Amino acid sequence: MLQFPPWKVLLVFAVLAWGVVMALPNVVNMSGAPGFLPKKSVNLGLDLRGGVYLEMEIPPEEVIHSRLEVFARDVRSAFSRTSDRDPIYFQPELHGRTMVIKLSRPDAEGNFPVDEALKRLDRINTPLEGGLTSGKTYEITRAGTDSIRISVPQASETAMLADALSKTMTIVRRRVDPEGVAEISLTPSGNNRIVLEAPGEPDPQRLKDLLSRDGKMTFNLVESSPAEIAAAQAGVVKPGYRLLQGPETGPLLVRDIPEVVGSDIASASQGNDEANRPQINFRLNANGARKFYETTRNNVGKPFAIVLDDVIMSAPRINDAIPGGNVRITGSFTITEAQDLAAIIAAGEMPAKVQFLDQRVVSSTLGEDSIESGFRAAVVGLSLVAFFMVLAYGLQGLFAVLSLVANVVLIFAALSLLGATLTLPGIAGIILTIGMAVDANVLVFERIREEQQSGRSVWTAVQAGYERALITILDANITTLFAAIILYTLGSGPVKGFAVTLALGIVTSVFTAFVFTRMLTVFWMKTFKTKRFAV
Amino acid sequence: MLIKYWPKETKVPFMRYRYVGVALSMIMMVASIYLVMTRGLNLGVDFAGGSVIELRQTDTVTVAEVRSRIPGGLTVNSATDSNGAELVVIRFGDLDAGLLGEEFLALPEETQAERASAASNTFVVNSLKQEFNLTDEDILRNDSVGPKVSGELFREGLIALGVATLMMFGYIAFRYSWSYAVGGIAALVHDAIGTIGLFALLQIQFDLTTIAALLTIIGYSVNDSVVVFDRIREIRRKYKQMPATEVIDIATNQTLSRTMLTGGTTLIAILAIVLFGGPVLQGMSLAMIWGIIIGTYSSIYFAAAIVLMLGVDINRKPVEDTPGFEAMP
Repeated sequence: MLQFPPWKVLLVFAVLAWGVVMALPNVVNMSGAPGFLPKKSVNLGLDLRGGVYLEMEIPPEEVIHSRLEVFARDVRSAFSRTSDRDPIYFQPELHGRTMVIKLSRPDAEGNFPVDEALKRLDRINTPLEGGLTSGKTYEITRAGTDSIRISVPQASETAMLADALSKTMTIVRRRVDPEGVAEISLTPSGNNRIVLEAPGEPDPQRLKDLLSRDGKMTFNLVESSPAEIAAAQAGVVKPGYRLLQGPETGPLLVRDIPEVVGSDIASASQGNDEANRPQINFRLNANGARKFYETTRNNVGKPFAIVLDDVIMSAPRINDAIPGGNVRITGSFTITEAQDLAAIIAAGEMPAKVQFLDQRVVSSTLGEDSIESGFRAAVVGLSLVAFFMVLAYGLQGLFAVLSLVANVVLIFAALSLLGATLTLPGIAGIILTIGMAVDANVLVFERIREEQQSGRSVWTAVQAGYERALITILDANITTLFAAIILYTLGSGPVKGFAVTLALGIVTSVFTAFVFTRMLTVFWMKTFKTKRFAV
Repeated sequence: MLIKYWPKETKVPFMRYRYVGVALSMIMMVASIYLVMTRGLNLGVDFAGGSVIELRQTDTVTVAEVRSRIPGGLTVNSATDSNGAELVVIRFGDLDAGLLGEEFLALPEETQAERASAASNTFVVNSLKQEFNLTDEDILRNDSVGPKVSGELFREGLIALGVATLMMFGYIAFRYSWSYAVGGIAALVHDAIGTIGLFALLQIQFDLTTIAALLTIIGYSVNDSVVVFDRIREIRRKYKQMPATEVIDIATNQTLSRTMLTGGTTLIAILAIVLFGGPVLQGMSLAMIWGIIIGTYSSIYFAAAIVLMLGVDINRKPVEDTPGFEAMP
C-alpha cells in the first residue's frame, strides 16, 4: 500500500500533467501555442454567456390535420379526373383526426356508389414514405350508406410525427442559421419536441417570429375584377377562389389551387433592386420554372400573386412570359426582414406550426456577471477550506490542499475532454466537491491519528489509515455517485449541469485524495524520516 | 493544531437519548408535511409556469414605475445581484386575455389556453420596451415556462429523487444488510422532508436548482450514514459480545471528529456560494446548509437509531479481516 514503484509515480504525474494541459486554455489564451496543445476552453452554458433557450412542440393534431389536408387534395384530384357528372361527387369534412367523405349523388335506384369510391380511394392510399410498416397510410372504412371515414392508425401517426420532427429540425436550422455558421444547438426531446439553444443571440422575439411561421409559399392566379372583390367582401366568394389580404396590394381574390408551390423553389436569398431597396430573389427548380413559364405565357396582362402564409406579398402584372425560373419579390422590406423572409422561403414549409413551451433568455452582461461571481465563490471557498485543513492537520492538511487543487484542475480537464457544458449550478457542484473532497482525506487522517494513539509506528499507522479508510471512502462515494448519475439521466437543464460536475468531482476526488495525497505523504516520510505525524 | 482542542476520545452516550432523537425527528417531519400542506411551496416558474423578467434598476426603471406603467397585475420586486447592482424582478403568470390583443382573442379557446403564457410574456416585454425605451440588451433575464413543461419538470424531478433513493437503498442493502439500508434511507427521507419543510416555512422559491440541492443533500446524508455504518460493522466484528447500544456509541464517537470536520469544510464551501455566488444560487445554497446540518444529525439519531432498533447483526455477511492486523485489546 505504501510502495510507489517508478511506473506508478510516472502514471500519477502523467495524469496530473494531462489535466494541467487540458485545463490550461481556461486560464491562458492558447491561440499562439503550438498545434499539439488543446486550445478550446470549457463550453459555457447559456446562463454563463448569455443567449436564448427555446423549447418548442410540434402539436401531433396539427401534423395529422395537415397530412389529411394533403390527402384531401389527392382525393379531390383522383375524383376530378372524371367529369362533373361523375356520380361520386363528394365533400370532405375534416374533424381533427378523421376525415369524412359524404357522397352526394345517388344513382337512379337511390344507392350511393360507396364501393366504387372505396376502390378509388384504396388506389391512392399508398404506404407512408419512410414509414416502418409496409401497410397503407390511412384506414378507410365505410361509415354508412353514403359516407366513408378516413382515419390515421397509430403506426402511421408515429411515423408521421417522427417525419415531422426531423423535417422541422431541418427547417428550424435552415431558418435560424441559413449560412450554417452560428453556434446553435438543436436537440430533439421526446417524440415531438425540439430544444433550441442559441448562445449570444440577443433577440428571442426575432427567433420566435422566424420559427412561428408556416413558411407556406404559393404563386396563385388572381381575379382582379372589383365587382368580384366587393362581392367576396360582402360574403359571396367566387367558387374556387379565396379572398386574401396583402399590406401592399389590399384585398384580392386568388385562385384556390396554386400554380407553383413552395416545393418548386430551389433557393431564395436577399438582394437589392434597381433603387437599392432590399428585395427577395428566388430561383425555381426545373419543374417550377416550367410551370411558371407556362402560367406566365398563358396569362399575360393579368396579375400574379405571391402568397406567403395566406398573406399576399406582392401581385405584379405579368408583362411577358418569364422563362428561366428566376423570380423576385419587391416591397418595402428592411434588410433584416428580407433576409428573414428569404430564410423562411428557402427553408421550406413546416409540417405543422410549432408552439413555444419554454423560453429562457439571459443577456450577455448577466452571463459575465455570473461567471465572475461563480469564480469568486470558488476561489473564496477553496481558500477557506484550505486554511481550515492546514489548521486542522498541519503538514498532512497541506498535502490534502494540494490534492484539492489537483482535483479542480482535473475536473476542468475532464469537462474539456467530454465537451460537457459548464453552467452556474455546475460551478456550485464544483464548489460542493471542494467541500466534500476533503472528506476522504479527513477519514484517512482520523484513522492515522487513532492508530498513532494506540501506539503504532508512523509507517504502520499511515498504512492502516489508508487501508482501512478505503472501503469507507468507496462506499460513501459510490452512493453519492448514484445520486449524480440519476440526476444526469433524469434531470434536465440546470440539474444536468450540476450532476456532470458532481459526478466528475467524485471520480477525480477519489484519485487525488487517495492516490496523490498518499504519494506525497510517502515521499515526505521517506525523505525526512518522519517519526510521527502531528495529527 | 485546531484538532488538538477537540477531545481525543469523546464518550457521548448518543444512544441513551435515541428515543428523544427519533421523537424530535418525527415531530420535525410531521411539522414539515403540515407546513407544505398549509402554507404550500413557493413554486418558481420552472414548476408553476409563467414568466420572470429581470431588469437593471435605473433612475427611470424602478419598481414603482414598472408597477404603475405596466398593466396586468404583475408582481414586481427589487433584488440585488452578486455585484451589488439593484435589479427589478417582475413575475407574472397568464395575463387577462383582454390585454393580449385582438389577434389573440381571435384564436380558438383551446389554443388561447395553450399560448396564453407565451403571449403574456411577449405583451410584457413589448410594453417594457415601449414604456422605458429599452433594448433587448437591457432585459437581463427573461424566462417563460408554459404550463405543459412546468408540470413535466416537476414530475421528472420527483422521479429523479425516487429513483436515486431506490438505487442507494439497493447498494447499502448489498454492501451491509437490509436494516442498514432502511436506516440510511429513513435518514435520507428525513433530511429531504425536513428541507422541503424549511422551503415551506421560509417560502424560499422551489425550482429546478432546488431539486439539485435536494439531491445533493440526499447524497451527503447517505455519505454520512455510510461512514457511521462502516464503523459500526467494524467495531461489531472486533467485539462480538458487546451490547449493540455500546457498539453504536463507540462507532459514532470515533467518527465524530471526522463528521464535524467534513461537515465544517462543506459548510464553509457552501457559505462561500451564499456570500459570493449571486442571487441565482442563494436559495439552493441555503437549502444545502440546512440539509448538511440535519444530515449530520440524522446519520446519528435517525440512521443509527433505526439500525439499532432493527438489529445490528441481521444477515451479516462474513467479512474477511484485514490481514496483518490483530484485534485491538
